[in-house]
Amino acid sequence: MSGEDEENASELKIGEEFLKAKCLMNGEVAQILDHKYQQLEQISDDPMNQMSQVFEKSQQYVKRFSRYKNANSVKQVREILSRHQLAEFELCVLGNLCPETVEEAVAMVPSVKTKGRSHTDDAIEKMLHDLSLIKKFE
Amino acid sequence: MFLKAKLSWNILITCENLNSNELTLHKTIILQLLNEFSTRRATEEHGYFIAVISLDKVGDGKVRTLTGDVLFPVDFTCITLKPFRGEVLDGVVDKVLKNGLFLKAGPLDSVFVPSKTIGKFQYVHGEIPIFLNEKMERLEKDTTVRFRVFGIQWKESDRCFRMLGTLDGGLLGPV
Repeated sequence: MSGEDEENASELKIGEEFLKAKCLMNGEVAQILDHKYQQLEQISDDPMNQMSQVFEKSQQYVKRFSRYKNANSVKQVREILSRHQLAEFELCVLGNLCPETVEEAVAMVPSVKTKGRSHTDDAIEKMLHDLSLIKKFE
Repeated sequence: MFLKAKLSWNILITCENLNSNELTLHKTIILQLLNEFSTRRATEEHGYFIAVISLDKVGDGKVRTLTGDVLFPVDFTCITLKPFRGEVLDGVVDKVLKNGLFLKAGPLDSVFVPSKTIGKFQYVHGEIPIFLNEKMERLEKDTTVRFRVFGIQWKESDRCFRMLGTLDGGLLGPV
């Protein structure tokens, strides 16, 4: 790989199949893994033993780094973000990192400002404001 | 980034585990799938295999003539974690060395940040080594940091990704 074709998520160059693939926010992954864990607890005496290391590490990670703790707010975050013509990948980065300012949001996801897209600072500001409300009422 | 992926694998059921009861057979296939899912650990294409969410379809089995084992094509949905170059992630400092930091972000557990790309931080030698900047912000073991991925290498022999990260640049660093 070289030059312009090189993968770069900040410019949203991540390969056709991943642009279409469904991405998940940390909060969503946390819910699914917790649910899986409970299922295992019911059928096994020693659930920890049934888990792969990768599962365990992921579960700890998403617990620590999920900004929204309850299922309802995670759902609302996705709803709000999906009104803004974002790619799945951008949507989840914003949902995970919860930037507080427009500057921060653009630094985390520079692709929202690339040519031909309609994200004005005002629109981003409004979106971040809506997200902060969810956090406030959680 | 965590991805929801639809995969199709072939699951081999040895002839002694075959059962004419459909439910029992179904259970054997599921268990074998879960088993293979965790032992395969990761692939370069999809990243780390985290959890199977649903079993979508079990196709007709094909008998292997020599052994009598049966191969079932299985479609399922799962969660994977694949790192992308340029992506911004949150992680935790794992080790502090003179020439850089090692970070962990879940299963992505060896992300190296060379001291050149730590930004305005200086290494401070001591019993507990740390990196310190002019604002007296510290980077030590267990500090939460925000970093950007700038290099990824797939290690086929260990079935894992080695990554390079940077803290240099706007709004990255300790959170």
